[in-house]
Amino acid sequence: MTTPMVEARGISKSFGAVQVLSGVDLTVERGQVACLIGPSGSGKSTFLRCINHLEKHDAGELRVDGSLVGYRQSGNKLYELNDRQICAERSQIGMVFQRFNLFPHLTALENITIAPQRVLGKKGPETIRRAQELLERVGLSDKAESYPSQLSGGQQQRVAIARALAMDPKLMLFDEPTSALDPELVGEVLDVMRDLAKSGMTMVVVTHEMGFAREVADVAYFLDEGVVQEWGNPREMLVSPRTQRLAGFLSKVL
Amino acid sequence: MTTNGDAPLQVVPVRHYGRWLTMALVAVAAAMLINTLLSKVPTGLEECHQVLVNGHSHQVCVSTMRWRFFWDVVGNYLFDASIFRGLWLTLELTVFAMAIGITLGVITAVMRMSPNRIVSSSAWLFTWFFRGTPVYVQILFWFNIAFLYPKIQLGLPFGPHFFTVNVLTLFTGFVAALTALGLNEGAYMSEIVRAGFKAVDEGQIEAAQALGMTRLQTMWRITLPQAMRVIIPPTGNELISMLKTSSLASAIAVTELLKSTSNIASRTFQTMQLLIVASLWYLTVTTVLSIGQFYVERHFAKGSSRSMPPTPLQRIKQDLRRLGFGNREVRS
Repeated sequence: MTTPMVEARGISKSFGAVQVLSGVDLTVERGQVACLIGPSGSGKSTFLRCINHLEKHDAGELRVDGSLVGYRQSGNKLYELNDRQICAERSQIGMVFQRFNLFPHLTALENITIAPQRVLGKKGPETIRRAQELLERVGLSDKAESYPSQLSGGQQQRVAIARALAMDPKLMLFDEPTSALDPELVGEVLDVMRDLAKSGMTMVVVTHEMGFAREVADVAYFLDEGVVQEWGNPREMLVSPRTQRLAGFLSKVL
Repeated sequence: MTTNGDAPLQVVPVRHYGRWLTMALVAVAAAMLINTLLSKVPTGLEECHQVLVNGHSHQVCVSTMRWRFFWDVVGNYLFDASIFRGLWLTLELTVFAMAIGITLGVITAVMRMSPNRIVSSSAWLFTWFFRGTPVYVQILFWFNIAFLYPKIQLGLPFGPHFFTVNVLTLFTGFVAALTALGLNEGAYMSEIVRAGFKAVDEGQIEAAQALGMTRLQTMWRITLPQAMRVIIPPTGNELISMLKTSSLASAIAVTELLKSTSNIASRTFQTMQLLIVASLWYLTVTTVLSIGQFYVERHFAKGSSRSMPPTPLQRIKQDLRRLGFGNREVRS
């Protein structure tokens, strides 16, 4: 049996006195798409940010591709990784944000090429060719020279996905990628994500799009009050919830 | 367009009576200003000639006139070699002091944002001290620093010295002025740079980190270029302000622009004339700097709005086109 891509055991995290995560267990196998659903404030975004160490978890064991996130184990001691090592870990994990976070001073193409050039040290022409391929894949080959302010929300988010893919990540994290979009623009972003899932990318998606979760996800986790309340096959779970909490949540969002 | 039967409705634009009145008032004020600038006044002296009228000699006296603003004298001194030397020294002081100020400002701004409390509070202390005392006092202070430290010795702390510098010869007027202006500017630039960094959205830093960029790469490639948009306009103001503040160096016998004019004035007693000479040069340099500032701001506005603001030249062309000159179809 191969090691799972993401394996979390008892992840806890608090901001000051507020306990955001209390003992989250989760497993995402290679090539799987996992959806995290739950009410706002349930800790799902925080958990996602722990996976690439944008947030530091307080307790528990979090592994990506078999190796610990943020630490190195030697004997029975955990050594905190230095900045450079954390950057190396992050460069293999792509992340897409709710508010896109494209770099406004760079064109769409430059947004995609900057990290391969600066982080991976790849040559300019090579990264430009790859960026053009990726722009074509997300259906924006004519927008290479546009600045983010000249693009619609849906187009910006597709560029953001291309930017993450340019690093050839082994895992993609999506933090509510369609929540900041106008309703008519949600479809184009979900289409790109669907294609990505089909291509075999391992994905962890925090989302409120229940239709997408049901259709694309292999596994769904329902978080509430920092705890996984229920998990399983989304096609069963979202149709006939076992817990009262999930049933209550679904009745509000569907 | 709404129609009234077959005839299209006529649109009557709003009449801006207030604007017309303001324009008239401004035009009158401008005319008065030009009039007084180009006016002449009696010198108080008279020029007399002997004139022969019908075989008799008469004395005719005319009181002589001069420019109210001494334009002839001003013109004589404007391009004087000693004025140019002073102007050059002023530019040197301005550029070097700003260079020191910007460098110190960036360093202390980064220090202020450091998670290390000792580092951040020492940067705060720097700003507090150099912003809290008048720059004129600081100039005098550095000029007289030899009273406190007659010698600077380079060596190990509390240990042996390797070599010694005589402070009295090191801190000439120029060096003292440069030190004071640079340190003072550093304190102001620190706040400007810090405000610029703070204006960048937190999500930008997260996005860069998520791509695996280091702190330094993030700052250099992502945060700083975006912060520049906020940093540049007040820095331009600081540069222009520095050009004029550098005139304080004349108090410690640095022959910059103001001192070079007042040197002549104390010889010839043409105080007003030479103050006008100095003012004209300050205005000229300020104008050049303002034009430069416009283009630098335009460069860093890249990507922040959908279209670039027009340059003054483009704006003049636009206005001319609106008035009916040139090709109307280009406008859209």
